[in-house]
Amino acid sequence: MAGYLFRRFVTSLVVVLGISMVAFAMLHLISSSPGRAVLGLHASPKAVAAFNKANGYDDPIVIQYWHYLLQLLHGNLGYSYKLNQPVTSVLGENVLRSLYLSGVSLVLAILIAIPLGIYQAVRRNHLGDYIVTSGAFTLYSMPSFFLGLLLIQAFALSLKIFPPEASQSVSVIGVIEDPRAMFLPILNLVAIQVAGYSQYMRSSALDGLGQDYIRLARAKGLSQKAVLTGHLLRNSILPMITLIGLSVPALLAGNLLIETLFNYPGLGLMFYNALQNEDYPILLSYTLIAGVLTVAGNFIADVAITIADPRVRLS
Amino acid sequence: MTRVLEIEDLSTHIQLSRSVVQAVGNVNLHIDAGETLGLVGESGCGKSITGLSIMGLLPPGGKVVGGSIKLEGRELVGLPDAEMRKIRGNDIAMIFQDSSSSLNPTKTIGEQVAEPVLLHRGGSKKEAVDRAIEVLDLVGIPGAKERLSDYPHQLSGGLRQRVMIAIALSCDPKVLIADEPTTALDVTIQAQILKLLDDLKERFGMSILLITHDMGVVAGRADRVNVMYAGRMVEATGTKEIFSNMRHPYTQALLASIPRMDQDNTKTLFSIPGIPPDLTNPPPGCRFAPRCAYTKSDCQESEPSLSGSEDHVVACFHPVMDGPLKPEKMVTLSHGVRERAGEGETPLLEVIDLEKTFPVTSGAILKRKVGKVHAVSGVSLTVRRGEIFGLVGESGCGKSTLGRMIVGLERPDSGKVLLNGEDIFSLRGRTLAKKRRDLQMMFQDPYGSLDPRMRVAAILREPLSIQGVESAKDQEARSIALMREVGLPSKALERFPHEFSGGQRQRIGLARALTLNPKLIVADEPVSALDVSIRSQVLNLMKRLQVSHDMAYLVISHDLAVVKYLADRIGVMYLGKLVELARGDDLYSRAAHPYTQGLIDTIPLPDPEIERDKKKRVISGELPSPIAPPSGCRFRTRCPRAQEICAIEEPKLRTFGDQHYAACHFPLVEPLEEAASASGQTKI
Amino acid sequence: MEERETEGVEESPLNLGGGIGPFEPGITDPLDGGEVDDTVTSGWRLAVRSFAENKLAIVGLGILIFFVLFCYVGPHVYHSNQISGNVLNSDLPPGSGHPLGTDNNGYDELGRLMVGGQAALEIGFFAAIIATVIGSLYGAISGLIGGLLDGVMMRIVDVILSIPYLLIVLIVATRYSGTVLSLSLILGLFAWLVPARLIRGEVLSLRVRDFVSAAKVMGSGRTRLIFRHLLPNALSVVIVNITFQVADAIIAIALLGFLGFGLQYPHVDWGDMLSTANTALGNGYWWLVYPVGISLILVVMACNFIGNALRDSVDVRLRRR
Repeated sequence: MAGYLFRRFVTSLVVVLGISMVAFAMLHLISSSPGRAVLGLHASPKAVAAFNKANGYDDPIVIQYWHYLLQLLHGNLGYSYKLNQPVTSVLGENVLRSLYLSGVSLVLAILIAIPLGIYQAVRRNHLGDYIVTSGAFTLYSMPSFFLGLLLIQAFALSLKIFPPEASQSVSVIGVIEDPRAMFLPILNLVAIQVAGYSQYMRSSALDGLGQDYIRLARAKGLSQKAVLTGHLLRNSILPMITLIGLSVPALLAGNLLIETLFNYPGLGLMFYNALQNEDYPILLSYTLIAGVLTVAGNFIADVAITIADPRVRLS
Repeated sequence: MTRVLEIEDLSTHIQLSRSVVQAVGNVNLHIDAGETLGLVGESGCGKSITGLSIMGLLPPGGKVVGGSIKLEGRELVGLPDAEMRKIRGNDIAMIFQDSSSSLNPTKTIGEQVAEPVLLHRGGSKKEAVDRAIEVLDLVGIPGAKERLSDYPHQLSGGLRQRVMIAIALSCDPKVLIADEPTTALDVTIQAQILKLLDDLKERFGMSILLITHDMGVVAGRADRVNVMYAGRMVEATGTKEIFSNMRHPYTQALLASIPRMDQDNTKTLFSIPGIPPDLTNPPPGCRFAPRCAYTKSDCQESEPSLSGSEDHVVACFHPVMDGPLKPEKMVTLSHGVRERAGEGETPLLEVIDLEKTFPVTSGAILKRKVGKVHAVSGVSLTVRRGEIFGLVGESGCGKSTLGRMIVGLERPDSGKVLLNGEDIFSLRGRTLAKKRRDLQMMFQDPYGSLDPRMRVAAILREPLSIQGVESAKDQEARSIALMREVGLPSKALERFPHEFSGGQRQRIGLARALTLNPKLIVADEPVSALDVSIRSQVLNLMKRLQVSHDMAYLVISHDLAVVKYLADRIGVMYLGKLVELARGDDLYSRAAHPYTQGLIDTIPLPDPEIERDKKKRVISGELPSPIAPPSGCRFRTRCPRAQEICAIEEPKLRTFGDQHYAACHFPLVEPLEEAASASGQTKI
Repeated sequence: MEERETEGVEESPLNLGGGIGPFEPGITDPLDGGEVDDTVTSGWRLAVRSFAENKLAIVGLGILIFFVLFCYVGPHVYHSNQISGNVLNSDLPPGSGHPLGTDNNGYDELGRLMVGGQAALEIGFFAAIIATVIGSLYGAISGLIGGLLDGVMMRIVDVILSIPYLLIVLIVATRYSGTVLSLSLILGLFAWLVPARLIRGEVLSLRVRDFVSAAKVMGSGRTRLIFRHLLPNALSVVIVNITFQVADAIIAIALLGFLGFGLQYPHVDWGDMLSTANTALGNGYWWLVYPVGISLILVVMACNFIGNALRDSVDVRLRRR
């Protein structure tokens, strides 16, 4: 088992290295001459060249990548000339607020989706299943921000229960203390995630219900509840672990849209603003981090599966 | 005797999305205390659905639509689920076919065995665990206490089946329903499990409902036998009676279709024409009538009900009275070819010292070799022109790998395969492609071996167009002729594979193999996916075509009876080694290797007399891992005759008679004088 | 044919269904392979039948056809000025002359919906084709060649798949002017990874199937194996994938447009029309949000319905084999 995880870890490192190459390559292709971007169109070519030389932007590409990699290893993600701030500090300002939003919505989504999926599988092709499936299908076919628009229309503009804008508090504590303002963005994220997870859980549970060991559990005389909690749950959650590990990109995309829609100052909004400013160091650093997080998510899921599944653990 | 379980007029339907399967109708059966009732029939006959109806565990859409099921006089049909749950696993327990999927992979053995005890008997967890150890011990799990925390995947198939039996026994059920309890197991393990069931029944006096397709399995242990066909009970009587004095034509035909070890293999097997009816739209009248040789007009009009005396009932208007079919009635096949299978000339196929290992790797990118599976280890054999050579052995013995090497699908690590004296692995490109004409293959899986996107016509033409022989017009004529030879109408050429039944698809597979007029067809488990009545059709066809096409077969099977029926000579493989080789009759009557004898002893024969008298010699233990096969003789770990030398020195093939060789230090029969075999390279 | 070497068998190979004396049950002719259905149903026909029985698929197909007609035939029936806006007419509510009102540049919203729909459908379709073609070729090559190349190719897929799609697409979109072609390319070029994995998996599982072994035993060369057996059988997976790719691409356009990286003004797609949705709702201009939003959702749903039904019907075909 340890050997397996070690090999998975090495593979993950290889992938991370690949991601850094892609991020670097894109940075290089899109803004190969940062001097021009920083100094503006009116700067003399000489000044641009001097700037590029001073910052090592005229070295051979491999050397530049090597420097880039070394900087990364030292935790230096580059410098945002637009904001006049190191990228790390820009990220640092926003990371906790985003973490709160994503974390709360992910946990809520899992807690809702698992029982919902099992319920659907057990009541397969009954009314409840149809209703949930239709709802999930509609949500799934909807751009995530559109649900947000509907929520704003209903709860903020028509009913006026919740504000249309998320908490603007600078500190996370402030955000946590303002659940009313966070209700709609969190509800929005939870709803889209539940739509995906519950359908996956449904098919996983359906798969489980068709297994011979469920029949044997029933043949022992166990009640439906005991069969579901004692035999079905653990086995059908196993594939969910992998799915959740794979969901980092979707989570980040969700953040980007929802934070933009609700004007919530997190990493997503930061990314949106950087897009408007064409602030490539921030954009690509964030992309790099997103890639690393995705790899990490997969790896953590693998570890979790290894712990949860005796077939993997003991082989 | 007390009636423990009594079923009257049971009807179970299964609602599919567009149709209703009338899976079981008008089934009557009863089991007395301490009795074993065999419920036999081919796949889809409703025997398993009957078992599941009793348990109230029907698949989605399944419903008991009529009749009654009484457990000690108490009606179970319509019982509320809460009440039924108290009976399941407690009064009636069930074991299923596939133990690898029937045990929960994420729960320990201990938890799973203790679960029903805790549920039905109450008491503390400790008491439940104690009981679990007790029953695990009872079913012969070595070191039961230490095994409690094991997970199912850590046990072998045989042990898992024992665990499932332990779960069933844990609450001392009155009735045990065993649904194909040994079908997924190898014959040696099957014998162990059947023996265990016999012992347990004797000790605890349970009633057993033994559901199986295998007449041999019921012959040995059932007190009475009920036969089902197409959702109907067709005959029910004592075991001896059913084998010797059956009344229903289906029973008679079914029994005659089974190839037997002591059968005269120069005669055709009996076979039932056609295929069972579609149960979503069953024919009116007797459901067997379309396939029955004795059918008369009244059979098609109304359905016969079960009638007869108390101890022998049959559902037939024209029951048979003359007992089993006499083999004299069977057709004798020509012997011409086999006699011509001359000595002296170069054999058609020579396999010399073939060796194949598969690496066991781990790791995603850096595939490290952590060991190797010794699939085939130094096997030599010859197949003569026009001969049928049978290769028999349990799963994992390397027989299929050997077959795939012979047709060139796998490359051996070392050794040679000579076809007409020419090594096929020394050939390349066009020459090899051309050589392949002589060497064709028939596959086990009738579903996977035909390209689902090609029409039969294209499937049959493919070998010809690959080989670039014959014009398009000739190819078409050839396809029509081939279809006729395998007994399919030429209109079938326009069909796609999914439109055929399993037996028909095997016929198409055979026709495809025949297209190039090969000298040798390697048939890997050609009939093991087929039901008995279809199986005999295909066996007869294979035999007949072998004679008419003057070709040789290498038949690979786990089923010694099938191989014995088809083959002239038989090779027995165990864990990658050829342990014995002899003519069929010779092998059967004077096996030299203890493994061969063990195989012969453990195959259940459809004959109660033999089965009951059979000394219950079973091969103990399980197949060792092919990654680290035992030193010396590979069978020694399970051999009753093994001595020290068996672990040290690998036995060489010695001669035991005309074309009879075996590799054993302590053979069951005396070898011919040492001089003959000591000459070293025995040409086999 | 010299099958007559066998003795005593009733020579009735073509007399299917009979030819056996009533009391001679022992002599069943192996030449009776049983009846074959009279109706020929090809695998595809079976798939089509199962597809047609799926009501949702028919509904989906109907919706899709409706929107194609609406977007392409609609402008010929319903004429509106989509060339130049009229600021004096901006943000008019639905009423006479403008059944769906006007947007903040004074364009007629119904006409805009048709034009924007054309762009959305085209981008969705092109992006899906690009992704599927690249992905299928890549996956097929990887799966067919195997070995080290397969390992490297799949690690590359891992790398690109680890980078969130939306982020990378947005970054690239900041640099390239928004035309139908460039958006299709951007979306397609980053969406081929999933089909690549799917096809590779399918090829790998087909490679070990018995019918492929059978073709090898006949002496079939590699090319024939690939083009006659592997690719045709993997094709169904590709086709199912295209419909889902269209749905995904249309959603992606909506996201890009919403964030302001869609087509360049005055060109428009449905996503662009939603870029000011938040303000529009705040101002009570609901007609600028719901018609386009609902159209978009209906088209995506339709594609998903069709994709699900196709997948099921292909499964049916495989299940019945």
